[in-house]
Formats: sequence, C-alpha cells, structure tokens
Amino acid sequence: MSNPATGRSLGLLLCLDCRATVRDVKAAHSRCPRCHARLHERKPHSLIVTTVLVVCAAVLYIPANVLPVMNTRTIFDDEQDTIMSGVLVLLHSGSWPIALLVFIASIVVPLLKILALGVLLYSAWRPSPPHRLQRSELYRMVEFIGRWSMLDIYAVSLLATLVQVQSFASVIVGWGAWAFAAVVVLTLLAARSFDERLLWDTPQHD
Amino acid sequence: MPVIVCPACDLAHRLTTAPASGRRQCARCRAPLQRRENASIETAIALAVSALVLLLLSNAYPLVEMHVNGSSRDTTLIGAALGLYAQGFESLAALVLLTTVLAPLLQIVTLLYVLTPLRRGRRAPGRNAVLRVLTRVRPWNFMEVFMLGALVALVRLSNFAHIAPGISLWSCALLMLCLSALTSVTSPEQLWRWVEESGE
Repeated sequence: MSNPATGRSLGLLLCLDCRATVRDVKAAHSRCPRCHARLHERKPHSLIVTTVLVVCAAVLYIPANVLPVMNTRTIFDDEQDTIMSGVLVLLHSGSWPIALLVFIASIVVPLLKILALGVLLYSAWRPSPPHRLQRSELYRMVEFIGRWSMLDIYAVSLLATLVQVQSFASVIVGWGAWAFAAVVVLTLLAARSFDERLLWDTPQHD
Repeated sequence: MPVIVCPACDLAHRLTTAPASGRRQCARCRAPLQRRENASIETAIALAVSALVLLLLSNAYPLVEMHVNGSSRDTTLIGAALGLYAQGFESLAALVLLTTVLAPLLQIVTLLYVLTPLRRGRRAPGRNAVLRVLTRVRPWNFMEVFMLGALVALVRLSNFAHIAPGISLWSCALLMLCLSALTSVTSPEQLWRWVEESGE
C-alpha cells in the first residue's frame, strides 16, 4: 500500500462539525454545505498552537505541584496542602483506594499528558513520523483521559465551600489550585488543537 | 460512489451501506469511522427532559450536609462554584460553573430546541448555529469527574466531621448517567442522520 487514496488526494474534505464529506473545496474560507461550519483542510496552525499550549502547561505544572492547593485553618494550626500532601493525608487516613485515585488523576495523568503531547508534536514535526499507528492510539488515549485531572479541583472547591465553620476550621483555596486547573485546561485545549491527520500526511517509509 | 474520509488519518473508504448497528473502524489507524446507535428522536428527547429535571433538582437540594460542633453547613451543585467565587478565585469559579452547570444545561437545552421541532419534521430557526454551539460545548461537560471529586471530598471530610449525603448527591449520580446516555445517542453523525431522514 504505497499510495493509499486519502481525502486530500481525492479532493474530499471532512466537516469536523457534522461529519459530512464535502467535494470540490477550493476556497480557503469555505463553509460546509450541510451545517455551515467553517471548513479547513487541516486544523489551522495546529502544530504551532499546540506547541505553545503544551509549553505553557509544562511551565505551570511546576507551581501546580509546589504551591498549596488549599490551606486548612483551625484554632490550633494552619496547614498547607499541596496536591501530593493531599494524597498522603488520604493515605494516612486509611483510604488508600481514594489516595491512589487522586494520585493517578492529579499527578500521573497530567504528567503523562504533557509527555504524550510532546511525543506527538515531535513526531508530527518530523518529515516522516515513525510508528504512526501507536502515535494515533496515544493521541486517542490523551483525549480520553484528559478530563479526569479536574477531580482534585472539584474536591478542593467542595471542601472550601463546606468547611467554613467560624472559629473551628476553614479551608482557603490556594494558588496551586489555580495553576493546576490552568494545566488541565491548557492540555485539553492542546489536545483539541492537535490535528492527528498530520501524522499520516507524509509518505510512509516504515 | 459514496466515500467516507477517516477523521483521524484522512484515509478514504468506500461507503457501503452503513451498518444497521455497531461501528466501523478505519482500516489504517483504527479510529471509529461510523457509529450507529439504534435510538429514536423520542429516546433522545426523553433523556434530555430527564436530565433537565435532574439538573434542576441537583441545584435546588443539598449535595452534602456537614455537621460539626453543633453547627451544620450544606452545599448544592452550583455551590461549589459559588464557594470559589466567594474566596476571590473568579476564573476558577467560572471553570467549575462551566463544567458542572453551564455545559450540561446548554447541551440539554440546545438538543431540546433542535429535536422537538425535528420530531414533527420541522426545522428550528437558527438550527445550524445552535448545533455549532452544541458541538463546542459538549466536550466541557465533566459530570463524571465531578462525582468522583465529590467522593474524594466526602472521604476527606468524614475524618473530622459528620457527613450526611443529601438528595442532590443521588440526583447528580443519575444526572451523570442520563447525560452520558444522551451524549452517546446524539453524536453529531446521528443528529445529522435524523435531520436528513426527517426530510425537512
């Protein structure tokens, strides 16, 4: 299969909004005849936009893990929790399945997403991407796991809303939570702006 | 001859008649090419109405109640976002509001707006624009993630306070199931198949 027939070679375009196959699209700013969504042969400036978003996410990953996501103030002390120390609190309180869940969703998943997007970008920038099938499957995994990192943000927001007992204890949200949410949103947007067809566009050698 | 193009790798496939149910994979990259759910417009409308009722319930009744030192506090679904707003984290509050309240609400309302007239073979005014809003907003519905986050918060709180799950915890769980069923029967592919079959 040296030169498989692709949408590009046949002059066909897929509308990503309604999944219609559109023929004879020449104009740069045309719209889908069925749903009137804007048509692009490939997502515009996909690699540049994705690279910028991934770099921002990687930078913010540091404050997200170093800064406290919440401060617990009680009459006795003032305790600051980062994401990792939150996992340890859960572990010591004896609920290790929950601790494992938070560890995977908040620490493993964001790191894995940033690394995976880096691998995908590196592959797509190269003249002939290797292991295309695995790369495509990697992309689908990134898309699937993306949202689950928001878990800790919801937990913190509920704690901060509920634990406001005057003179006994209160939970204040920390800037770590902001940085962490920014990492999640940036990686989600990065995954969405990456056009996986770029992995398959160049002639295949492997 | 009808041709379908793979959204993930651009490979062109000859389109034989779409399978009666189930899915087709791309021959090269194994991405899903076509999916056909055996659902009717009525099923989708019923799911959307149920989801709307559950969403209203989830915001009207407490999600959890916390009793500590003789005082008690509770929160609803929308309360999580309001709590962040009260502490000055407006952008974070907006993100939580979008992913737990606005995105589900918009998904339900846009679907009802388009599907109710479509069932009688009529076209809702501004249908294409409304469907574009639906496509943009659909990926931001994070109800499943919120439910797990609530579970984590409950476990952490149960160490130092008495926690009572509220009505809304159950309606949120049902809402999550309802929304994922709704999302799977109203894929863009399926929505446009209904539009074409209605012949409006």
